[in-house]
Amino acid sequence: MPRITLVIGIAGTLFFNMAAQFSYAQENTADNESFDSVWDDDWGEDTYNSTKNINVASFSGFTETLYGSRLSNSEFHKKTSIEDIRLRLETKLDIYSVNIVSKGDIYYDGVLDDWRGNFRELRLDYSWKQTDLKVGRQVLTWGTGDFLFLNDFFPKDWQSFFSGRDDEYLKASSNAVKLSLYSSIINTDFVWVPKFEPDNYVRGDYYSFFNPLSNSISAPNLEANEPDNSEFAIRLFKTINSYELGGYFYRGYFKSPNGFSERGELEFSRLQSLGFSVRGQAGDGLINLETSYLNSLDDKEGNDPLISNSQFRFLIGYEQELRERLTASTQIYLERTLKYNQLVESSFNPTIEPNENRTLLTLRLGWRSRNDKLRLSLFTFYSPSDSDSYWRPSVNYRVDDHWNVSFGGNVFEGKDENTFFSQLDDNENLFLRVRYNY
Amino acid sequence: MKLKKITQCVILSVLAAAQSAVAQVDDEHARSIVQQAEMASYYAGNDGRSLARMIITDGNGQKQIRQFTILRQDVEDRGDQNLMVFFSRPSDVRDTVFRVLKHTTQDDDRWLYLPGLDLVKRISAGDKRTSFVGSHFFYEDVSGRNTEEDYFELLEENDEFYTIKAVPKNLSSVEFTHYIVNIEKSSMLPRKIEFYDAKDRLYRRVESLKIENIDGHPTVLHSRVEDLLNGGATEMQFRFVEYDLGLPETLFSERSLRTPPRRWLKIKG
Repeated sequence: MPRITLVIGIAGTLFFNMAAQFSYAQENTADNESFDSVWDDDWGEDTYNSTKNINVASFSGFTETLYGSRLSNSEFHKKTSIEDIRLRLETKLDIYSVNIVSKGDIYYDGVLDDWRGNFRELRLDYSWKQTDLKVGRQVLTWGTGDFLFLNDFFPKDWQSFFSGRDDEYLKASSNAVKLSLYSSIINTDFVWVPKFEPDNYVRGDYYSFFNPLSNSISAPNLEANEPDNSEFAIRLFKTINSYELGGYFYRGYFKSPNGFSERGELEFSRLQSLGFSVRGQAGDGLINLETSYLNSLDDKEGNDPLISNSQFRFLIGYEQELRERLTASTQIYLERTLKYNQLVESSFNPTIEPNENRTLLTLRLGWRSRNDKLRLSLFTFYSPSDSDSYWRPSVNYRVDDHWNVSFGGNVFEGKDENTFFSQLDDNENLFLRVRYNY
Repeated sequence: MKLKKITQCVILSVLAAAQSAVAQVDDEHARSIVQQAEMASYYAGNDGRSLARMIITDGNGQKQIRQFTILRQDVEDRGDQNLMVFFSRPSDVRDTVFRVLKHTTQDDDRWLYLPGLDLVKRISAGDKRTSFVGSHFFYEDVSGRNTEEDYFELLEENDEFYTIKAVPKNLSSVEFTHYIVNIEKSSMLPRKIEFYDAKDRLYRRVESLKIENIDGHPTVLHSRVEDLLNGGATEMQFRFVEYDLGLPETLFSERSLRTPPRRWLKIKG
């Protein structure tokens, strides 16, 4: 059944695209005949056009087909690692000085054999003087890490990240209120999330992973008790001599379930975090440095075996263009578990507790062709402390203003089955993504 | 013996270097003309705004479009400059914003805002002679090539044009060996720039096709760059050009990357 739907999806996408291609081709013919007339007539600045009080932007978006396959057989899942057919619709609406942004996805998820729909963004923006207000469903990001998050406690979608969906989907949406105040002394972002938004963490419906309860790899569909409480985050930021400084505060919960209630249910425990970052030019490249202190409020002493301990996180990164159109960036990351002795002493199974110092090195290599159409990328995580690694190679070809094709993989290596990347070994996959932008 | 040979070598290469330096004309008159052209091309007024559109045609005749609004503010004439580029077309780059703080004595600061991730990405200083958003224009064509990087020589002058030859001081930093620019006397804008490669082939041409006077500033409203080896070209048109809008300095900041300043982007139609 899913296979048939996939075929229908591809056929539908193709038909839709051909129709659009046809009108595009007609446009092109017109271009050749009277280049200037087409140019002069239609600047179509629907977004910022005119002084009218109400403006509606035309719809845009994309249709996309994504298919991925596991590289090896898994005892928990079928070969297909991902199978999406997606329609994205976006529009904007200006009513006086209020701007409404709407981006919605409708997609068929072949792995779950289910149709899904959600708003990626549905928010109201309003600006006055030195203040910006954004209310509603929105994607939120801050911090300086590249795929590493020290002070960004907005929800991540790890299931999408490991399966070949566009990088955009790593950041999940939040229902939130964001208030930004700007001044010459310092700029401030306040974010209030009325109801806790967890990560879309690795679960059994898509992935097999190390389950500490059974002390083995399995694929349980873990459901955790989500707190109904709110989250609150603040960022202070300022640029001095081209160096961007940031200070961060967060109060809420760990974003993935990290503890058990006394009844044995998975839970999110309370978290408070403080951090700092700086980013700027150094030599011929860019340097960034970021730290955070995560205070595990429900286990301050570190002796509750059911709840993770406090952590100190540190990141230093450097990026430079090596030669024309070839850029490399590297990061060194440390995650230090605090009160480690208490953790080991109180643990039920000390052998599977994380290392006191979890270290990670990342390397990103990116190359693009002269005309910018072909992009090759390799992102690698390697953990010396866990002896495991994660490789994300990808090839992206932008055929024209409409068609975009991506091919890539997610490869996990490691010796122990309980480390962060190594546990995902059975989920290694290759994927192909074809997108039509309209 | 060996030492003598090395000494000979050193002397010869010093002589060779000295000779090429002598052969390299740098004419103060030509330099001042080029600086006036730089002023007219990139620093007209204290700030400016325009809507720009590019049609990129590759060697096979395939076409692409880019459309964006540019806001500019000069920190100092012929010096540092703030630039923001707000993309509106095609749909896969819609709402992407590019910000440059151009420096004349150090590398530019560059940022890119990716709306899908709400990510403000800082971009490392890179080669300025690479494609600007997939077009045949280079970053350097958009933000201006630093006049300190070339030697200039006035080849010809008539009633309409100055014809100037420019040779890069550092040949290894660029893909051309020299270029010849025709600067129009009436507007002090470059009308045509032709680039030559190491084989002395003319391989790239940039032309101003339409110039109009806006608020007292001669302004290029239509330009074209051609790849003469592979056969592609990019045409760029500007519309709704305005100068001296009084853009506030605070506009050029992370705030405008994350929340485009609609008040300043609104075109009065």
